[in-house]
Amino acid sequence: MTISETPSHQAPTLNQSKELKEDTALKSHGQDANMEEPKLKVETGDEWQRLSLISILYFTIRNFTNSAQVLIYTIPALAISFNIWDNLLSPEVLIGAGILFLSTSVSGVISFLMYKFRVHNQHVEIHHGVFQRRYTNLPLWRIQNVKIERPFYYRPFGYALVVLDTAGSGKEEAKIVAVPEDYAEALKKQVLYEKALHDEGDLDCLPNEDLSDEQSSSFPTPRTRTKAIDSSHSNEEVLNRRSVKDIIIHGITNNRVWIILGAAAPFYDDVFGLVSEWLADKGLQLNQLVGEQTVAWWQFGLYAFVILMMLMALVALLSVGGALFTFYGYTLSRTGDRYIRRSGLLNKLEVSMRASRIQMITAKQDWLDKILKRVNLYFEQNSTAGQQMQELMSPNKLIVPSVTEDEAFALSQEVMPGCDLRGQDYQTISKRFITFWLLAGWTLPFITFFTIGAVSSHLDIMLGSLVVFSAVSLLLTLRWWRWGIAYDSKYVYIRRGRIGIDYQCFEPYKAQQVIVKQSVFMKRRKQATVKFVLASGAVTVPFLPEDYVNKLADSVLFEVESTRRSWM
Amino acid sequence: MTISAQQETVFSNNQLSVEEIPSLQTLALLPISKKYRTLNILSIGLIALVLIGIASALRFQSFWSLPEGLLQAYPYVVAGIVAVGSLWALYHFFADVRIFYAIREQDISKQSGLIFRKLSCQPILRVQHVEVNRGPLDRWAGLASLQVFSAGGEMHTFEIPGLSIERAEQLREFILAHKDIGAR
Repeated sequence: MTISETPSHQAPTLNQSKELKEDTALKSHGQDANMEEPKLKVETGDEWQRLSLISILYFTIRNFTNSAQVLIYTIPALAISFNIWDNLLSPEVLIGAGILFLSTSVSGVISFLMYKFRVHNQHVEIHHGVFQRRYTNLPLWRIQNVKIERPFYYRPFGYALVVLDTAGSGKEEAKIVAVPEDYAEALKKQVLYEKALHDEGDLDCLPNEDLSDEQSSSFPTPRTRTKAIDSSHSNEEVLNRRSVKDIIIHGITNNRVWIILGAAAPFYDDVFGLVSEWLADKGLQLNQLVGEQTVAWWQFGLYAFVILMMLMALVALLSVGGALFTFYGYTLSRTGDRYIRRSGLLNKLEVSMRASRIQMITAKQDWLDKILKRVNLYFEQNSTAGQQMQELMSPNKLIVPSVTEDEAFALSQEVMPGCDLRGQDYQTISKRFITFWLLAGWTLPFITFFTIGAVSSHLDIMLGSLVVFSAVSLLLTLRWWRWGIAYDSKYVYIRRGRIGIDYQCFEPYKAQQVIVKQSVFMKRRKQATVKFVLASGAVTVPFLPEDYVNKLADSVLFEVESTRRSWM
Repeated sequence: MTISAQQETVFSNNQLSVEEIPSLQTLALLPISKKYRTLNILSIGLIALVLIGIASALRFQSFWSLPEGLLQAYPYVVAGIVAVGSLWALYHFFADVRIFYAIREQDISKQSGLIFRKLSCQPILRVQHVEVNRGPLDRWAGLASLQVFSAGGEMHTFEIPGLSIERAEQLREFILAHKDIGAR
C-alpha cells in the first residue's frame, strides 16, 4: 500500500515559508530532484490528459447500470403488455437487447472521449459529461476525503478510481475514473500533504524566522510539524484487522441481507412465485392452511415456526455473504491524523477520515452481539444533509465491524483518549418516561381496541391488545432502564438501547446547538429533556432532572464558546 | 487526535467555579413582534377562506352535476375546515406570544412552545451562514424571520420568526460581525 519515499531534507539555509514551498515543489515535481520514482509526479502539466483505455469499461458499466436502473421501472409495464418470457428469443427482443448493448458500449466510448483531466497548479481540473458538459475545478487543499476504489475489473491491470470530495455539498465530488494505482496513491499523498500544509498555515500564520536553525527544532515549529505529518503519511500503522471469522460473526449478528437483497431486487416476484410453487409441490398450501381450519392450531404454529426457522437460516446465510462481500480483508489503519478503512471482496473500497473530523463514537451492541461479546464501533463524521449513502460505504461513518469488547475499548481510547464508555456513572432518566409514553402514545389505541373487542365480544382482539400493550410497556421499561447520560471533564457519554446497548461518546466542544425541552408537566416535576445537535446528528436524553440538564447544557455551551475549537 | 485549536494571541484560561459559568436560566428573554400572531391567524383565516371558497364553488357551480353524496357532505366539509382552522388559530393565539429570543455575546437562544417549551441555544462560533427570510405576507407586515444554519443539518436550522425587519437585519449583522464567524 505505502510507497516508500526518500526523506528529502533540504539544507536549512532558506527561511521557513520558502522551505515549505520547496518541500511541496519537491514532492510534486519529483523528477527534478533525485527521486527514483518519476511515476510519483502528480502534476500533469498544462496538457489535458485522457484516461487509460480501461475506463471505457468503467463508463460502459456505469452507463449500463444507470440505464438498467431506469429500465427496471419499465419492466413490469413491458411484461404486462408483451409477454416477455414467451418471446424471449424472438428477433424483436434480441434486436432490442442488441441495440441496448451496443448503445451503452458506444456511450462508454463517447464518455471516455469526452472526459479529460489535468492536475495543474495544485488544482484538479476535470472536463466531463456528454450532453451536459461539466467542468470541475478542485484546489488540492480543499479536498477533504480521498477515496481510492478498485473495481474488480481494474485490479488485474493495476488501475484505480480516485474519488475526491470536499466538505461542502455531496454534489461537489470529482472522480478521476482510471489512473494507475501508483498515481492514485501519489495523488492521495499529495492531497493529504497539501491539506496538512494548508491547515498548518491556517494555524500559525507567522513563521518564526529565529527558530529556523536545526538546533532549535525541538520546538514544534510549523516546519517540524509538517515534516512530522509528512513522514507519518508514509508509514501507516494498522490498528485493526478483521478475520473471516469476525466477518462471519458480523454477518450473523447484523442483518446484512440487504447487500444481497438489494442486488436481487428485480427478481423478487419470480423468486416468490417459485417458492410458492415449490411449497405447493410439497403439498403445503398456504391458503389452505390459513383459510380452512383443517389443522390444529399447534400444527399450524409448528409449520409457521419451521418455516420461520428456515427463513432465518437463509437470511443469516445471505447476511454472512453480504458481510463478506463488503468487509472481506478489513483493515483499519492510521497514517498521521487520518484513519483509513480498506475492505471488500470484489471491489476494494478505501475510505479515509481525518481524526479531527470524528464527531462521535458509537458502540452498538445488539442482543446477539451481547451474547457473543461483540461490538460494532462507528466513528461518525459530519453527515452532509440530503446525502443518502449506504451506511456501510458511507465516508461519514467509519465502521469497525464486530470487534471484541476489549478491542472496542482500545479503539475508542485510540480515537478519543481517556474515553471509557462502560466505566461511567450514568445518570438514568426518570420513570415518568415510561408513564408518559404509555399514557400519551399507547393508552388510547389500547382502550379503543380493547373496547372494540369487548363490545363485539372478540376475545382474541382483547387479548391481542393486552399482549401488545404489555409488550410495549416492557420495551419502554427496558428503554428507561438503559437510557442514561454521563459527563466528565472531557466527554459526554450516552447509553441507550432496549435489549441491546448502544454507547455514544462525544466531545462537548463539538456541539453545534444545545436544546432543552420541557413540557408543562415536566416543569412541575422538575424534569427536562436535553438534546445536543452535532454535525453527525442529534442525540437526545429525555426526562432528566432539571438541575442536571441546566448544568450540563451550560457547561457544554461554555466548553464550545470558551475553547473555540474547530469542530472539523 | 490532533489538537487543531485556534490559538488566540492572548490566551487566558482561568479556573472558573461552576457558578461563574453563564447560565441559560438567567437569559433576558425578548418577545418577538406582536404582529406575528396577528399575521399567523390572518393567514390561517385566509387559507380557510380559500378552501371554503373552493368547496362552495364546487358545490354551487352549474357546469356539471355532483353526486348526491358530495352535496350532502358539503356542510360537514365546511364545518371541518372551520374547526381545524380555528383550532390552529387558537394554538397560534396562545403559542405565538410565547416565542422569545435572547442574545448573548457568544450565542443566540430561542424559547418557544405552548405545552412543550423548547429552549435552543446556538453558539455563534458554529454558525455556517445566516439568512433573513421574508414571505409575501411578511413583507406586507414588515416582518422577517432569521434563519441561522449550523453544521447540524437542515433539521436543526435555528429560526427566529416574526422579527421586525430592522431587528432581523441587526441580528444578522451582529452574527456576521462576530469575530468567531468564519473560524469554522
